[in-house]
Amino acid sequence: MFGFLKKVGDYTQDAVSAAKYITQGLGVTFDHLRRRPITVQYPYEKLIPSERYRGRIHYEFDKCIACEVCVRVCPINLPVVDWVMNKSTKKKELRNYSIDFGVCIFCGNCVEYCPTNCLSMTEEYELAAFDRHSLNYDNVALGRLPTSVTSDPAVVPLRELVYLPKGVMDPHDLPATTPRVGRLPEQVLETLPRPATAAPDPAAADPGATPQP
Amino acid sequence: MQTFVVVTPGLDLQASFLDLLDDFGVSQGLAHLLWLPLPMLTVLVSAVVGVLVNVWLERKISAAVQQRIGPEYAGALGILQPLADGLKLLFKEDIIPAKADGLLFTLGPVLVLVPVILSWLVVPFGQNLLISNVGVGVFLWIALSSIQPIGLLMSGYSSNNKYSLLGGLRAAAQSISYEIPLALSVLAIVMMSNSLSTVDIVNQQSGAGIFSWNIWRQPVGFVIFWICVLAECERLPFDLPEAEEELVAGYQTEYAGMKFALFYLGSYINLVLSALLVSVLYLGGWGFPIPVEWLAGLLGQSVDAPLVQVITGSLGIVMTVLKAYLLVFFAILLRWTVPRVRIDQLLDLGWKFLLPVALVNLLVTAALKLAFPGAFGG
Repeated sequence: MFGFLKKVGDYTQDAVSAAKYITQGLGVTFDHLRRRPITVQYPYEKLIPSERYRGRIHYEFDKCIACEVCVRVCPINLPVVDWVMNKSTKKKELRNYSIDFGVCIFCGNCVEYCPTNCLSMTEEYELAAFDRHSLNYDNVALGRLPTSVTSDPAVVPLRELVYLPKGVMDPHDLPATTPRVGRLPEQVLETLPRPATAAPDPAAADPGATPQP
Repeated sequence: MQTFVVVTPGLDLQASFLDLLDDFGVSQGLAHLLWLPLPMLTVLVSAVVGVLVNVWLERKISAAVQQRIGPEYAGALGILQPLADGLKLLFKEDIIPAKADGLLFTLGPVLVLVPVILSWLVVPFGQNLLISNVGVGVFLWIALSSIQPIGLLMSGYSSNNKYSLLGGLRAAAQSISYEIPLALSVLAIVMMSNSLSTVDIVNQQSGAGIFSWNIWRQPVGFVIFWICVLAECERLPFDLPEAEEELVAGYQTEYAGMKFALFYLGSYINLVLSALLVSVLYLGGWGFPIPVEWLAGLLGQSVDAPLVQVITGSLGIVMTVLKAYLLVFFAILLRWTVPRVRIDQLLDLGWKFLLPVALVNLLVTAALKLAFPGAFGG
């Protein structure tokens, strides 16, 4: 008898707590109803990629010394460096360079390690193609600069959330001059104590460094 | 609680129509024949329009809950989007899979849709604003809704696809196990109003406006009924028969074009119908929160005056639809709040929780009816 009553009590308790949690959940969804949509109407509006965005890799043929460091640091040895040894000058002669962006994971190791800075990351991310082989970029394709979102007349550029002023959530119709939340690296730099000697302070040379106390 | 019933004929379009034709010298039988298709067509059209509104609401509210915009290019605020979707389905190729059973495959969606539409027969929008005041009212609806799982099983079986078969079996198991608590909670209402007719059930709730609605006397029954109705409609906490992540689209997997549209239409008509029935059974149907008789008396008007009749009649329709769509809104909100239950949880909830609770509710109602015949319909 008491076993049965206990069972009924447990059941009631379960039902009450379930109702409580469902009501709580309903409160959350109902609260979202009054919030503004955060939609970016993609082909017409685009977010401005952040300054550290790791997009399609840009390559400058003339700077390259064919050292193949990019190949060695690549997790899958992806870049193809096609060079021949010029016997008369005893120098490497670069003929072709290519990266297959259908395989690349955009880790940025090659850019990081390139001794001559001939590799860099762009903000291009629209790499859709009808044929995967067309994603294999040669040195000519790698040398092209992408269209910037801000300079494209057909696109309304929108700032990402961290680049908005404090308290602002909607990037639409925001003047381009409004500063973003927090201080820019230059502003941080100004607050730093000037080094007395001519020797460069490593902290001051690094624009991203936090102000020293 | 005082539940004296003031039955005013209200807006009776049939009688007015017959009188009008009688004035033109049309015989009684012919006039009746001319009248017959009118309410049927009206209800059929309004059911389909209700579905379009429902689909639009579903997409817009879902979008708002997820901080999206939702459809916005087809018509103002995307209001024509459901129409565009329907048109697309209409023009799509009608495919019957090569090794499917053609007859059952075609019959399945029809068997799902027809009982749902037929159930609109008993939905009242006013004292005389319904197709037919059938004496067995809600029972007819329960009986018709148990035809549906046969259609679902048919389409699941005939598709010759494992996902379809699983979906069909799940749909049948779900419908059958939730039919019982549903019927039991309806039975408690029926016991209080001493009638199966939907019109009588609403009239029994019309005494004191919002305070005489059944939801106050049957809160447990209301919750059980609402859960069961969601399960019958395969709405999200209970949408296992078409659980996308497991079963592709359940019994609808092999369907395309108009046959798929029939399923789609059926599920949304069923949702609107269920919301309407919840408002009829528990929320006072066409009743205004303040009784219109009082309001009319306050304004010094007779309830039987033609203008007042038209106003109260339209107010009744608006109230019924408003209540139903509030419930639809609630169902959509619930869709994005509650995760899908597992099949064993679903059957546990149906058999081990809802069924005993519904039985206890029925017994308590019976006891209360004997103890307080005034408040619980003697």
